[in-house]
Amino acid sequence: MRITTRAAIARGPHIGWELVDLQLDDPKAHEIRVRLHASGLCHSDDHITSGDARVRFPMVGGHEGAGIVESIGPDVRRVKPGDRIICSYIPACGACRPCSTGHQNMCVKGLNAGSGMFLDGTFRFHLGDEDLGGFCSLGTFSQYAVVSEWACVPVADDIPWEVACLVGCGVPTGWGSAVHAAGVRAGDTVVIFGAGGVGSNAVQGARYAGAKNVIVVDPVEFKRDMAKFFGATHAFATAQEAHDFVVETTRGQLADHVICTPGVVTEEIVNAAVLMTGKGGKVTITAVGHFDERAVHVHAGLLIGYMREIRGALFGDSNPLYDIPMLLGLYRSGDLKLDELVSRKYRLDQVNEAYQDLTDGKNIRGVIVHEH
Amino acid sequence: MSMTTRAAVCRAPGQPWEIIELELDEPKANEIRIKFHAAGLCHSDDHIQKGDAPMRMPVVGGHEGAGVVDAIGAGVTRVAVGDHVTCSFIPACGSCRYCSTGRQNLCDAGKNAGTGMFPDGTFRFHADGEDFGGLCVLGTFSQYAVVSEFSVIRIPEDIPFDVAALVACGVPTGWGSAVRAGGVRAGQTVVIYGAGGVGSNAVQGASLAGAKNVIVVDPVEFKREMAGVFGATHTFATAKEAHEFVVETTWGELADHAIITVGILHDQVIHDAIQVVGKSGQVTITAVGNGWIDENPGMLIGYQRRIRGSIYGGCSPLFDVPLLIGLYQAGDLKLDELITRRYALEEVNQGYQDMLDGKNIRGVIIHEH
Repeated sequence: MRITTRAAIARGPHIGWELVDLQLDDPKAHEIRVRLHASGLCHSDDHITSGDARVRFPMVGGHEGAGIVESIGPDVRRVKPGDRIICSYIPACGACRPCSTGHQNMCVKGLNAGSGMFLDGTFRFHLGDEDLGGFCSLGTFSQYAVVSEWACVPVADDIPWEVACLVGCGVPTGWGSAVHAAGVRAGDTVVIFGAGGVGSNAVQGARYAGAKNVIVVDPVEFKRDMAKFFGATHAFATAQEAHDFVVETTRGQLADHVICTPGVVTEEIVNAAVLMTGKGGKVTITAVGHFDERAVHVHAGLLIGYMREIRGALFGDSNPLYDIPMLLGLYRSGDLKLDELVSRKYRLDQVNEAYQDLTDGKNIRGVIVHEH
Repeated sequence: MSMTTRAAVCRAPGQPWEIIELELDEPKANEIRIKFHAAGLCHSDDHIQKGDAPMRMPVVGGHEGAGVVDAIGAGVTRVAVGDHVTCSFIPACGSCRYCSTGRQNLCDAGKNAGTGMFPDGTFRFHADGEDFGGLCVLGTFSQYAVVSEFSVIRIPEDIPFDVAALVACGVPTGWGSAVRAGGVRAGQTVVIYGAGGVGSNAVQGASLAGAKNVIVVDPVEFKREMAGVFGATHTFATAKEAHEFVVETTWGELADHAIITVGILHDQVIHDAIQVVGKSGQVTITAVGNGWIDENPGMLIGYQRRIRGSIYGGCSPLFDVPLLIGLYQAGDLKLDELITRRYALEEVNQGYQDMLDGKNIRGVIIHEH
């Protein structure tokens, strides 16, 4: 039976989030309905309303979420009603080529992230006659959502909702950018551009992997201070200062890794990153850029002579079914700071204010706590 | 005692190679003098002569060479007089950070490749009071040269010099682009752009590593035919035809690897290569030229593609050069077939014209003594 749910939706770029009551279908086969308790305010959702990311409109925002399975459709095996779950913003079907070869972050069932359409061509959210997709086929800026069982990762009772939701995207994306995608090793020198909700976790990953120097570049003083709390050894406001320091501390050998996790990646950042990377070094790009800008504009000679590598990273090259429980284990053992990522909590109707705070550099991560 | 040697030199970008007599110093400490028998005509020397790549001028050309050790300076331990050797276009000092971590292709001692100056600030080639550097501190377009002992690798005496010369640069650069820098594995689909003296060896590397599809893109029919000899499973004249084939044969999953080994790097081939690799795919760039990567980050992030620069194919010369010679001896690497034409030193400009006309996989200079 259809239910009504309150949700924040985007009707198009540049007009902010609008709160509406939506009709939500019952879950079909291999789908579940989740009662969401918390949703992270990731920069990627802001890329929808800013027009940087091209998505189908109207769209229900939110792709970091945690909640309780309320009902299930036929043939669901991964979870049952009453289970606490984290939504993984990329599903893991477990059977396609990427899932079969240790690359669940590339699961082919993630293909509708930008439309929110289900694989049978239909939608679960409706407003009158209009169909709405959820971002990443989730839509966690809604009190309730119907999602694929492949997007569900069960989570234990002792993990708070506002922490759990972040482990569906920002935490593995950042941590994995350092540990999996870059492959930081003990003794390395690592530079991280941008210390927000993703970069803070890249800092934690690089430090935990044993990097000698974890150097953060962020123009916001609050984020630089927090970066040191998360394990940065040095923090600078500008790329030039960081470059000078890297030259000095490595005696000109430059950094082993540069990881780009700014809010918006630019040509300036990518080139600064390449030039800060030494022989055999790697630049890992995790951030989203403006849709129509070719921010990766680099002379190929810069890669060849020093045998540098530039790679893109999605979900930090993590496998959600393995890495999400593993990261929660590190949280439980005190090796991963998650409570400190949450700068402010908001009600759903404060979502536009929350994104203004993000733009103003006030938050590492804001979290919506849903009311029921 | 210094001696005289005939050599092909370039005095300024755009000027042709000129054959002159040079004075050659005695080898100093840790240096050796080589009597060259063969030198490969690599595209990189043409890039220097055309001005595509910066180089101190005047320069003695040539960085692929093989010959016999003629004299040694003090303290030389790697080779003895009379040894047959091939040159490595990047030296391997064996003790810097990169040599110490299995990456001899990045050896810090390679820093003077673009000047030909020795680490003490001096030169070994001279004419009329002027110092001449050798390309990559070698200068194999000379009958004799003085080089660092770090730049030579001893080879068996039964390996022909013309074949040995190519194992100094083009062969490991291409083979390693597939096997080392690319990391091609059994069952994969690989697209190789450009099947000249480097690309032909990328084909051989990908094939030996067990790639299911070794797909070559080259506009020259002769090179496509030769690519088939070296192990290509499919060849196409254009990137578009190759792309359509890859889509069809992989059911849209696209290629695991694209390797760029074209003569002159340009923006379009980089873009084509990025488009042809699938999820977690890798683009390996080995070519020289004014090519730019020009992409939205989403092209790299969404499919998690990687773009890697490759020098020397990621090979460690002291390990990989003997390994490649062993594969040649075992019949697993075709080297004789790489040599399309042989030239006298005086024919060097003709040799490069033939290369630019697409007539050669590799031309080789046979030095006269």
